[in-house]
This record gives sequence, C-alpha cells and structure tokens, in this order.
Amino acid sequence: MTVKHAELTQEIQRQAKELLASGEVAAFLGFSAGSLPMTTRPFVARTPQEAERLVWNSFCTVNLANYLPALLKSLEPPRGPKDPPPTGPLPKVGVLATGCWSRNIVVQIQENQVDRSRLVILGVPSRGMVDRKKVLAALQGKEVLEAQEDDHSLRLKGKWGETELSRWAVVRDNCQSCRHPNPVLFDRLLDAASERQAQAPFSQIEAIEAMSSDERWQWFQQAFASCIRCYACRNACPLCYCSTCFVDDNRPQWVGKALNAPDVLTFHILRAFHCAGRCTDCGACESVCPMGIKVRLLTQKLSKDILTLFGAEAGMDVSVPPPFTTYAPSDPNPFECDTCSSKGKKG
Amino acid sequence: MDWEPKIVAFLCNWCSYAGADLAGVSRFQYPPNIRIIRVPCSGRVSANMILSALRSGADGVLVSGCHPGDCHYISGNLHARRRFSVLKNFLEFLGIEPGRLNFSWVSASEGEQFATVVREVTERVKALGPATRLVKRIEA
Amino acid sequence: MPMKIRINDHQLIQWIQGVVTKFQVFYPLQDANSGVVHIQKATDSLNADAILKPVSGVPKTSIKTFFMPQPEVIARFSIAAQDAEAFVLKEPGTALQTQVLLNIRPCDARSVALNSMPYAEDPYFQKMLKRTVIIGRPCDETCSTCFCELVGGSPHGTEGMDLVILKTEDGLALEVLTQKGADFLKQNPCAESAGLQPTLQQQGGQELPIVAREMQKKDLLALYNASFWPQIAEACINCGACTFLCPTCYCFDIQDEVAGTKGVRLRYWDSCMFPLFTLHASGHNPRGQKVQRVRNRFMHKFKYFPDRFGPVSCVGCGRCVKDCPVNIDIREVISLMQAV
Repeated sequence: MTVKHAELTQEIQRQAKELLASGEVAAFLGFSAGSLPMTTRPFVARTPQEAERLVWNSFCTVNLANYLPALLKSLEPPRGPKDPPPTGPLPKVGVLATGCWSRNIVVQIQENQVDRSRLVILGVPSRGMVDRKKVLAALQGKEVLEAQEDDHSLRLKGKWGETELSRWAVVRDNCQSCRHPNPVLFDRLLDAASERQAQAPFSQIEAIEAMSSDERWQWFQQAFASCIRCYACRNACPLCYCSTCFVDDNRPQWVGKALNAPDVLTFHILRAFHCAGRCTDCGACESVCPMGIKVRLLTQKLSKDILTLFGAEAGMDVSVPPPFTTYAPSDPNPFECDTCSSKGKKG
Repeated sequence: MDWEPKIVAFLCNWCSYAGADLAGVSRFQYPPNIRIIRVPCSGRVSANMILSALRSGADGVLVSGCHPGDCHYISGNLHARRRFSVLKNFLEFLGIEPGRLNFSWVSASEGEQFATVVREVTERVKALGPATRLVKRIEA
Repeated sequence: MPMKIRINDHQLIQWIQGVVTKFQVFYPLQDANSGVVHIQKATDSLNADAILKPVSGVPKTSIKTFFMPQPEVIARFSIAAQDAEAFVLKEPGTALQTQVLLNIRPCDARSVALNSMPYAEDPYFQKMLKRTVIIGRPCDETCSTCFCELVGGSPHGTEGMDLVILKTEDGLALEVLTQKGADFLKQNPCAESAGLQPTLQQQGGQELPIVAREMQKKDLLALYNASFWPQIAEACINCGACTFLCPTCYCFDIQDEVAGTKGVRLRYWDSCMFPLFTLHASGHNPRGQKVQRVRNRFMHKFKYFPDRFGPVSCVGCGRCVKDCPVNIDIREVISLMQAV
C-alpha cells in the first residue's frame, strides 16, 4: 500500500490499542481488510488484539457514522422501555472520521442521535476513496484478482495480465469534487490537513440544469430505470435513521413498494429531499448501489440550492442549526404574485 | 379542448382558506378546477403530501399560506418558504414541468387576490396539458 | 445415449434469429461503458458475438425476474360502486407468451430447479416455468467469487436447462435435455434437429452435495446459538441487495394497489433483511434485531432449506459476495457453519 496509508494504518492501530487497553473506549469503529481485492469491511474492535486488524486505505467507502447510534446504544446496560435512563458515564466509542464523516457526526449530534461526550474521534484527512465501479469500467469488466495501491496509481492484476491506472482517475465523483476533505470535529488529528481544493464541485448538476424540462425528465427516468428498491442507498446513509421509513407507512401510503416507475422515482425524490440540508456528500449511497445508479446527483442538487439560497452547509459547525430547522426573515421570497396588492409589504 | 385540469390546493386555515371563503362570499369568480384541502398551516404541508398529489394524478398543485411575518403560528410559513423554494427547484430539476407546482401567500382579507391566483395557476396548468410524469396508473 | 446435433456458428445465429421473430428472447450482454453484464431483451439487431461466445462474468441480476416478475399482477378487481362484480378478484387476463432465455449459466439455470421446490404448488411460478425455455451454456471461465461446486453445482452442470449449447472438439453442439426443450425444438427446428430425442433430466434422486449432507446432520440449535453470528452481523446494514440479487432468494409480499375505481393485487419481492419482514399485526417482531435477521438468512439457506428439501438454497454464483456493500462474505459464513 502507499507509504501514507501504511503510516496511517500503523497510527490507527496504535491509538486504537491504546484507547482500548486503557479502557477509555469500549469499542473502536474502523475498517478491516475485506475478502476481495479493493475492498474493506466496517469492523468494530473491542480488544487491543482485535485492533491489530484495523486498516486504512483508498477503499474505505462505507460511512462509519452510520453505525454510531446503534453501536453506542449496544454498549449501554440493557434496560426495559419503562426503566429510567442509566446514571453515570456510559461506555465510549472510538471512531475514524474523514471530512464528510465528521460532518455527519456533527449532524448526528445536532439531531440527538449521538452524544458527543461518548465519542473519541480520530480525524483523518482523506485523499479520496477509489470507486470500484470506475475501475471495472476502465478494465471493461475484467476481473481484478490483485490490487496494489501506490501514491498516485493502482496496479491491477488478473487472469488477463496486468495494468496500471491513475489513482485520481478512479477516485469517486464526490471525492473528486470534495470541498471539505479535513475533519471538522475531532479529538485527535492523525495527519496534516489536506490542501486539496475541489475543481468545479457542482459541474454535474450544472450540466443537468442546462437541459430542457423534457431532457431532464428523460435523464431522470433513465438514470433510475435499473433501481431494484434494495434500499442499500437508504440504509448506508447515516441520515436515514427513522424507525419507520416513509416507504413503510401505509396509512397513508406515500409510495408503492414494487418496481413501477412513478413509485421508484417518488421514492428517490422523497429520500433525497429528506436529506436536504443534512447531506454531506459522503458518497456512501452511490458506492453501495449494486446497480451503479448515480444517486448523489439528487442530493447534490439540493446541497447546491441550499448553499446558494441560504448560505448553509450541513455539519460544518455544531452550533449552527441545520437549514430546515430554522429560517431567516431575509430568506428569498419567490412566491409573491405580481398582481397582488401585498407586493411591497413587509415579509 | 374539453380537458379541464384538476388542481389540488393546500390552503392554510387562517389566511388562505379564509381568503378563499371571502372570494366566494364576495362573488369573485374563479375557475372551478381547484380541489381544496384545508391544513392548519402552510408549514404543515410536507414534500410527501405534494408528491402524493402528483402521484395520484393531480395536474397541478397549489400551496398557499399566510404572508411571511403574519403566520398564525408565528414561524410556520417561514419554514415553509425555505422548504418550498428548495422543493420547487428540485422537482423542476428532475423534469417536472415548471408551472405544475405553485406556491403563493394570500391573506384572509385578500379574496380578490385569491381568485386571481387561482385563475393564473389554472391557466398555467391548462397550458401544460394533463400530467403524465409521476402519475401512478393501475392497468387492470 | 444423449443425442447431440452439430451446429455451426452460422446455423446457430440463423436459428436464434428465427426464434427472435416469434418469441421474446433474453441473453447476457456487456455494457460497453461500465463493463457490467446485464440480461437484456434481444432485438432484431442481434449481437452475434455475444451469442456465439457468451460474455464472461456473472450477469448483475439473476434470471429469477423471469419467473417471479416484480411486480406480478396476480388478480385484478374493480371497486366501482355500480359494478355488480365489485370487490370480486379476477384473473389478471394477460395471456403469457413463450419466453426464451439464452446463454444462461449453469448456476442461474440450477436456481430455477431449486426455487421450484418451495414453489411446487405456486400457480404463478409454475405458469411462468411452463412458458419459459432455458437454453444454457456451460462456463468457460469462472470468477474468483464463483463457488458453485461447493454448493452442489458445476460450471458444466445442466440442471434446470431445457437445451444446452456445448463445445465439442469440432465446434458447437446442441443437446436436448427436457421434453419442453424437445417440443420447442420441434416447433423451431435448426440444422438437423429432426428426430432428436431428449435426455430427460432426472427429478430428484441426485446425490446431494457434501455441504448439504453436512448441514442436514448438524444440530439446529448448535448452529442457531453459535457465537460467531454477532460478529458477522455487525457490519450488515440490512439493505436488500443480497436478497434481491440472489437467484435463490424467493420471498415475496402481496399488496393491493388501487387508483380510482380499479385495483390490482400485486406480488413483489420482499427481503428478510428488512426490519418489517416479520412484524406481526400485534406489534411483536420476532426478528426485530439485526443479528436475528442476518442469522436467519444464512440458517434458512444452509440449514432450514436442506432439512426440508435436500440441497442448500444457494448456487454459488457469487453475486452477494461481489455486491454486499460491507463485504459480508457468504463463503466465510459457510465455513464457520461447517465448523460448528
């Protein structure tokens, strides 16, 4: 692996072992090696020995913040629904956080899903994670049996031979356009801040905005035509934690469950909208989609509008309320009709 | 053309619904295409409800509330203002024709303005034709 | 003695072209941009290369969608007040045409045979089965994620196929395996197919794979209470990707959908990974916790199913291994279960 990643892996293992051995945390959430090339799996280490399995590389695409609420809850002493909440300090969890994941943790704190005092956050500025689907496309579907990561390239081997790809060319879309690679909330920072600047962060959105209404509809239908309603996008998202998702409501039923185009599209519209102002563009939704759908294009449009209209961004500062929980008298007011006499009145 | 659009109108109880009532009492004529659903506040109207109207076959949706600053619940319509500006842009981004989704502020004393808003919205939706995108149909 | 007829490339393409004009034909094609293989409908402009030399790589989705379409209308009804037959369930009414699946891998074909076991009396599945002809193709190459032999299949297996296109020393050959295949070939002959006798596939009585026999012998409660389940389940996000991509996951839900005065009763895929899968009307949920659901999926496939039907409910296609977002590897789970 790259020199940087080897160093970070060592450092993460060292610090996790220290936190677990001293008892400061009861569990440490990170990644361990996966069973396939270019894959890692989310992993909870509970002993210093287990911490030796932690790794860090360019294939850590799942958002760890997704697991925090359940992990924290699982460490509390068991109690029934009517028992009072436990007194005294509860076990803590150590977690790795890149820029976007740390912003998700901020949002989780603001929404009372995690307790800040129970987290030990190890911040890791991200160099961008690789998108396996881009690698597959670059190889025209040929299977990779072995992958080696260097600082700027990926060396891939298969039954077909060997090749080398530019690392940045196969980094995920959201990482390539990331404006916040550095963690915003952390207890310890494991590396120097990245000075990476995003090039044209909303270019894909602008391309669609330039289309006519009919073209946009065509694009939207085609983009989501292969959706199988597996809900991997929803389940990988740290923001989607409703105990009953709107999909499972049945009185009234907002959206049908089968593969009908109006239902599939409505599901994606509403899911994205429910993440509006809270999404940090971690890209987990797009990374986990088995069908390769560019799910992020919806949430990115919302993030762009919210930034333009209200100057708000999710998760940058824990003391700034999320955009849809608040308002400002100076918000854009596009709905006054031209003929009504109230034009020019206050508001 | 014989087709008349069906427009679902979510009107807030304190201002817009009262404004609609005043329009009726004052005999201001407006097209009969809207189907009114009374809600306590425009802030109560969620994206789920608007999408549900489109899915059920509404050719157009109108959400109307108190003027910003005049909300009976102080800030409901201010939250709504944020939500709807983002939702309108979002749905138009996805290819829902501009003009299907409409928002307005109409107060309880603005009977004539309510009639004007409905007339404008109806004309706009009529020009777009029947809704086909996002409409759930049962082939039985 | 199984009779194979020799068929050269040109004859094969001609035959398929003829079939395409009469029936719906589907075969695996590779997307040039993404490299992903999908099973797609054949059009008049056939991709001859993809027919002669099947694309390598397991198609993204399995063929269960041809037997259990999503959604499947299983009844229709009217709710119009004046209708004398309101609220009476009626047949869906669409006549089903023959559909042909071409170049199907042995694992996918075998999945049809496995799904037929729990669905032996399911009228909808059986109707789909009757109208579908599977023309299979043994695998030249397997992926590193394939493990068909572990679960009782083989890259050269023919279970579930009606016809199979084989490679011989001097080209291709067509072998008929079932009566359905024989009838299809009689109506749509190719090359010198007249008078071909089918080698009828035996139903059951086949030797069970080792893993199935092992699992049958194991104590259910010992597997159920094994200590490794929480560790396996920890990373799972309970999406439905594994269940929906899996050829042998067959659970469904039924819902009525109504618009205006018309309604349909739909059957669509459900997933045991979803929290609401086992929610009772009383509010009790026997598998409300994630670890219970994850454990249940593997127990069903490798213990409950073999106990009831014999083979394990898995064909080793490797789709879940490739596409699990958190890399839960079923092969690791199988070895852990075998070690109990």
